[in-house]
Amino acid sequence: MSALRKAWTALCPKPGWQWARRGVQAAAIALLFLLPVLARYNNYLASRELDGVMERWQDRSQGQILAATDQALRATGSEEQVFEGNPRRNREELQERLARYRGSVWSVEIAGVSMTDPLAVAESASASKQLRWVLFVGLLLPLGITLILGRVFCSWVCPMNTLLELTDKLRGVLKFLELPPHNLRFWRGNKFLLLGMGILAALLFSVPLLGYFYPPAIFGREIHNWVNVFFDRAEAGAPGISWLGGLSIASGFVLGVMVLEVFVSERLWCRYLCPGGALYCLLGKFRTVRVRRDVAKCTDCADCITVCGMGLNPMRDVTGIECDNCALCITYCEPRALSFRFDLFDPRPQGPGQGLPKVPAAPVPEPKAVEVPERAKAVAS
Amino acid sequence: MDDKKLPVPQPPPSPERRRFLKRAAQVGLAAGVSGIAMAALWNALSHPVIPRGYVTTDPGILRPPGALAEDEFLAACIRCDRCRDACDTKAIRIFGPDEGRLAGTPHIVAQEHACNLCLLCTQACPTGALAETREVTQVRMGTAVVDRRLCVSWNGSGACGACHTICPLKNKAIRQGLYNRPEVFAEHCVGCGLCEEACIVKDRKAIRVFSERAWS
Repeated sequence: MSALRKAWTALCPKPGWQWARRGVQAAAIALLFLLPVLARYNNYLASRELDGVMERWQDRSQGQILAATDQALRATGSEEQVFEGNPRRNREELQERLARYRGSVWSVEIAGVSMTDPLAVAESASASKQLRWVLFVGLLLPLGITLILGRVFCSWVCPMNTLLELTDKLRGVLKFLELPPHNLRFWRGNKFLLLGMGILAALLFSVPLLGYFYPPAIFGREIHNWVNVFFDRAEAGAPGISWLGGLSIASGFVLGVMVLEVFVSERLWCRYLCPGGALYCLLGKFRTVRVRRDVAKCTDCADCITVCGMGLNPMRDVTGIECDNCALCITYCEPRALSFRFDLFDPRPQGPGQGLPKVPAAPVPEPKAVEVPERAKAVAS
Repeated sequence: MDDKKLPVPQPPPSPERRRFLKRAAQVGLAAGVSGIAMAALWNALSHPVIPRGYVTTDPGILRPPGALAEDEFLAACIRCDRCRDACDTKAIRIFGPDEGRLAGTPHIVAQEHACNLCLLCTQACPTGALAETREVTQVRMGTAVVDRRLCVSWNGSGACGACHTICPLKNKAIRQGLYNRPEVFAEHCVGCGLCEEACIVKDRKAIRVFSERAWS
């Protein structure tokens, strides 16, 4: 055990929150690409073309991807019928299993659990002015998680946030080149205004408009289109991969958000504009998991402020509705003064940290008795 | 020394100026975002939706089974692509971004790839825009209409019967008369479009599915 612990601390000297977060983010990105591939695989399986297609596209990436998927599914599958020593997929069992994985971040079904973005539900309900119970089936899990853990979708799942965290490295490069980029601050209420405008537009014009400007939804649609065009090209016999195939102007929007991130302000979209983030903020108002500060340990070094993507100040103890529980401040807190606690409300500000290292006071030289010359004495008298 | 060449000392940027720049950037950003939103809205509203009770030769948009009436469908659909993932036959396609308010919504082009009524998409829809349907006979995507001038069985150039053969509700929705002449009975036809896909007439199909919402 001690060897394991040693290895773990060597790999990850900080508390393990960031590893968990990166893992979830990577899984979200992988699922974004995997789910349309699975849908395509299911399509070939259903039309009994899978074997032919895999044989025909042996030398192409499409065929290799399908073959890898097939192998993985066979390894995890249960029964396989054997005909003359030739194992056959149990088509119905496989299709039943595959039917439980579909969608994208905007609305997804994983292992039969349906999850829909609260913004999608709000828009759909307000645009059609109806409450259908199907909406609430998908809302249950995201809503529950947000009520308990707060705005964790933003920091743990959202692909736009993942991309912007990568884009932040470019800001670091610019700083290194001594071309420090702007870091303008705006009014955080902008995103609530945008959310209100979107819901109002949905109510007035019956058009769910925000879905076109909401990066997770854009990611889902664009990657679906891209994967489908990727396989369509193989079906049409076109050579190679079309790197921009199936992408639309919406990708340009995402690119624009990234450019703003680099040149105008850190996490500009998430902090000031994202309507989905605004909704998650409101839902996470009474979250139970909050970042807490131990005043006795805090040294007021302000590392947490530097590291916070949302531009908050954990040293002031009040993070409010904006905190997305990304645990970056906890990871980078050198004296380990910050941690997650269960609490419904932010406490009163606890004042400056008292964990300053006790420096032994420099020895003050004793004042020596100065010999007063006789002449001075005489003058004084 | 020439006085003109001396650099004129610039006053340092004042807090007012900085605040003004910040405010200007903020207003510009807000204007840009709302401008994009307004443009999208204009685009969305400028696309006409065929009103009810309007008789047309345009077959209209064929939505997947279980779809609500067109206006309600456009309001309820969140453009999430789950129905396309669920579609085994890949009949469901998604409108591209240049289609205004239709962008991202599912539709079916029957003469290229018709729906085989597996109804998986109605179970996949997270919003109820495609209402969950269990019975094939409850589906109302549209109605097939035979053009007797083009149909080879009707215009006397042959006897075909392809549409009757493939119809999932044969002898109810499509019945055959003399020389395999097809007749559609609208009260039974669900509008899956298999007949349109199977029709042997080249260039323009003799039997086409008119989407229910466009003309009834």
